[in-house]
Amino acid sequence: MIVTYNWLKEFVDLDATPQDLCHRLTMAGLEVDSLKELGAGFELVIVARLDQVDPHPDADRLTLCQVNTGSEVVTVVCGATNHKVGDLIALAQPGTVLPGDFKIKKSKIRGQVSCGMLCSEKELGLTDESEGIMILPAHLPVGQPVFDAMGWRDYQIEVGLTPNRPDCLSVIGVAREVAALYGKQLKLPSSNLIEASETIVSHASVDIENTRACPRYAARMIRGVKIGPSPDWMVRRLEAVGMRSINNIVDVTNYVMMELGHPLHAFDFRFVEEGRIVVKCAQEGDSFATLDDQKHQLSAEDLMICDGRKAVALAGVMGGQNSEVQGDTETILLEAAYFDPITVRRTSKRHGLHTESSHRFERGADIDMVPVALDRAAALMAELGRGDVLAGVVDVYPQALPQRQIELTLVSVNRMLDLPLDAATVTQCLESIGLNVSTQVNDDGKLLVSIPSFRPDLERDIDLIEEVARLHGYDKIPVTMPIGVVDATLPPARQQLQKKLRNMLVAGGFSETINYSFIAADAVGKIGLSGADNRTHHVPILNPLSEEQAVMRTSLVPSLLETVARNLNYRSTNLRLFELRPVFLAGEDERTAERLSLAAVMTGRKDPEGWAQSVAAVDFYDLKGIVEELMQAFGLEQAKFDANRSQPYLHPGKSCAVVTHNGMLLGYLGEVHPRTLTGFDIDQPVFLLDLDVEELFRHHVSRRSFTPLSRFPDVSRDTALLLNEDVRAEQILDILHQIKSKTVEDLTLFDLYTGKGIPQGKKSIGVRIRYRDMTKTLTEEEVGKAHDKMVNTLCEKLAAEIR
Amino acid sequence: MKERIEQLQQDALATLHAAASLKDLQTIRVEVLGKKGSLTDIMKGMRDLTVEERPLVGSLVNTFKNAFEEAFAERLSALQDQEISARLSRETIDVTLPGRRTGSGSLHPVTLVMDDIVDIFSRLGFSVEEGPEIEKDFYNFEALNIPKDHPARDMQDTFYINEDLVLRTHTSPVQIRTMLKQPPPVRIIAPGTVYRRDSDLTHSPMFHQIEGFLVDERVTFGDLKGILTHFLNEYFGAGLQVRFRPSFFPFTEPSAEVDIACVICGGSGCRVCGGTGWLEILGCGMIDPEVFASVNYDATTYSGFAFGMGLERIAMLKYGVSDLRLFFENDIRFLKQFS
Repeated sequence: MIVTYNWLKEFVDLDATPQDLCHRLTMAGLEVDSLKELGAGFELVIVARLDQVDPHPDADRLTLCQVNTGSEVVTVVCGATNHKVGDLIALAQPGTVLPGDFKIKKSKIRGQVSCGMLCSEKELGLTDESEGIMILPAHLPVGQPVFDAMGWRDYQIEVGLTPNRPDCLSVIGVAREVAALYGKQLKLPSSNLIEASETIVSHASVDIENTRACPRYAARMIRGVKIGPSPDWMVRRLEAVGMRSINNIVDVTNYVMMELGHPLHAFDFRFVEEGRIVVKCAQEGDSFATLDDQKHQLSAEDLMICDGRKAVALAGVMGGQNSEVQGDTETILLEAAYFDPITVRRTSKRHGLHTESSHRFERGADIDMVPVALDRAAALMAELGRGDVLAGVVDVYPQALPQRQIELTLVSVNRMLDLPLDAATVTQCLESIGLNVSTQVNDDGKLLVSIPSFRPDLERDIDLIEEVARLHGYDKIPVTMPIGVVDATLPPARQQLQKKLRNMLVAGGFSETINYSFIAADAVGKIGLSGADNRTHHVPILNPLSEEQAVMRTSLVPSLLETVARNLNYRSTNLRLFELRPVFLAGEDERTAERLSLAAVMTGRKDPEGWAQSVAAVDFYDLKGIVEELMQAFGLEQAKFDANRSQPYLHPGKSCAVVTHNGMLLGYLGEVHPRTLTGFDIDQPVFLLDLDVEELFRHHVSRRSFTPLSRFPDVSRDTALLLNEDVRAEQILDILHQIKSKTVEDLTLFDLYTGKGIPQGKKSIGVRIRYRDMTKTLTEEEVGKAHDKMVNTLCEKLAAEIR
Repeated sequence: MKERIEQLQQDALATLHAAASLKDLQTIRVEVLGKKGSLTDIMKGMRDLTVEERPLVGSLVNTFKNAFEEAFAERLSALQDQEISARLSRETIDVTLPGRRTGSGSLHPVTLVMDDIVDIFSRLGFSVEEGPEIEKDFYNFEALNIPKDHPARDMQDTFYINEDLVLRTHTSPVQIRTMLKQPPPVRIIAPGTVYRRDSDLTHSPMFHQIEGFLVDERVTFGDLKGILTHFLNEYFGAGLQVRFRPSFFPFTEPSAEVDIACVICGGSGCRVCGGTGWLEILGCGMIDPEVFASVNYDATTYSGFAFGMGLERIAMLKYGVSDLRLFFENDIRFLKQFS
């Protein structure tokens, strides 16, 4: 809501500065979003007279003007055609900066010196469009700044209103707050209405069929109006509060709406058939054209203003094209009504028509304002349109809305606010904003508060406590700490596990990413998932912002690969990224499931670039090492890597599933499939982990226990074995773990070799076993015996040979 | 004899002093104390001496021997020192060459802010709760006193899944879920992801919030001011100016917006604070009795407050991030700045 400082001053004797006013309003809950001085920076734009206008010697479309500034005569080149000698115009002198950072300088135009510019309304930021330069009224003093001479100096104050304050959707409403804040009286506007002898009732009637949706409908008639432009003061005011001037009649409805907050509508009475207004619901499927040229399919829930034969307005939202005021309109039927908020809101939403009118009705208009606004507008129309207001009002208001009263106790005020306020202070606060407070004699501390119709938001005592708090000042409420038992619990296990997972990945060099939860529906196709996979069944968003964000993601993989591609584009080629966030799965009966998921990728070099670092690229085993460490940290060191299970987006020969020792699936890891990489425009190998964190948390084991340390020396034995190429490391390790004696402290595969010296189809694997006993130093013989047994078993079971 | 021994001692000590290497030193030792060494010679000759001469020569020999051993040890240590320092100086490296780093990763700035804030409130006795991101209309709106067809719904542009399911527009539904499952007193902090159908330079369709609420007997608006003032001073620095001004949220009454003195200009007015010297940092208020009614809390016995704040905004102010979109572009050059 925009108001101006001068307009407010019509209703409050205000002597505070605009800046102080804005601060007070903000601190009272009417947050001022902006304060703009109208005419600021235009001090050098002055009223000047054209002493002479000649054609430019070297340009057909330009004129050479001798401009009298009151103190001198300067030459200005002008491209307009609507000016003549003797006109007063607005001269922007050199040094002026016009809107759009347009600096005025002394310059030469086609060889002629030009000392400034003759301005149009548009160039001064007064209107969006204008033709030719602005010709000022003849009586203005030459030499004065235009904004001062025209009385346009003002301050535009934009208030960011919260939806609970429909009363402040008007200058008078804001003025009421201002009066309360400065302890002043609010002056209401008076209507100087002169009625003709002829009465409205002999021409027009009103019927309300649906009094729930329209509790009150009033009309006046103004005859013999001449449609024309509005006077300058009204145009400026409307523009200052963000409205465009249309014509004198429509402008009056808008002006009164801005002033008093009540939406009005003017019908051309020629098109109100049978002279009847009927307020009723539409026929489902009927079509109606609003005055913005839009056609609407009506619903049976839309409340319509109709005449004897047809609909003429979408009640409380917008008038119809068929009855709008035109250039030759003579008789106006002026509507002031009160419509049910929910009805207006539904119609407004249904047709996508959010108007100044619907905005006010859906927040709750002031039903008592109906006759006031009607009279004010009728008087203005008679004045500006030179018409006659017919006698009387058709005011259909079958059931007056009840007067609201709220009981408020001082105890509840002071308990909530921690303040020792007395009845007088509370009463003063509430009465300053137009509420009526009476104390009950027998029960001191209990106040009975009558709520005026312009405050629909005040319904309960807590609403009044808020008013007291806000008017008394939030800053006067003491700063205390809550008393009471503190039962500080540790963060839930789930939070702690997430933190642990995050921290491990960060220690491993991974950076955390956050991608949007919504992605394109075909994103899972890009990672090769197809129909049977439940990840292709998305939870779609009904009203997405774009196709790219149409469904909730079922996998973190596509967004993370996109992130990789984006970083590669910026030439960041060594990446370790992860994302730990939920995926959303569609369940039965429109139910949805959120599962915490982890995706991590690594690509590029193994080590950061440096003079002493390896230049090797990361490979599968770098990723697997990290996964193994994660498994160990979550007590799952027995986890297995199953090469027979994989994902379509992973390289079939370089990927596997990670499962718990008893076969529960935790996730997948591997090199990303080259086809998938191509789909994401990635041209270097990427290794990816996709983990179901819910499963990880479900199976994690959080026990720590101590194994005693041996004080005796260890002995290591290395053996190189020649094996068939297809023997997997897991087979070797499984056998060794199965048969190992308790003196085996540790066993490692320390070497893998194929190539020179190794027969075709074979490979050499080095096995290092460390022996140590808890109770004694092992002898050569004991170690040899144990080691031989291990090696011999391998030879036997895997057809291995000792190299 | 005496002169000979003294001369020998003098010569031996002089050679010791002159010895230039450990090897020389060993040679001298052999020359003096070895099988054919000069001192060994004298000791061998002892048996030919008279009974009177023996103790005298014996004493001279002992003096020589002790002096030699002492001088030897001294020289040995000196030469060893020399040798070590020579070796060390040969081995000197350029310590200014960069070290071999493994490259640690980084937490997302939103996570950092979230963790820090949760920490502060944990110390004030608040426990962490979470809720689903796809939320029932009832929890997200109805139970929070935002009925259907109410203009307050326009305050939050909503993504709908269907009639009854939305992407939660705030973390406030966690209030409802928590209060429905546990009786007062409660002190809860609820971080999470939220969604609004709005996307431009200053709005992201997905962002993060932290919700906090406290319900107990006799909780006042002053307590709300106290907890939040404490939190803001902990997080942004002691002595930070804080102001509360009236606002409106359907689920609190009275409601307030909290401003802090601009962390960029310190309150004198700059572009970040729009020249006002203040930055809007969070919304809060006393929990509305309607909310208590929807979770069956007795509003005559209990009162409480709730607050909520946007984490991206706080991260922007805390770390000086100028563009909201950076949080979701995941440019590694951005992310690594928070390692």
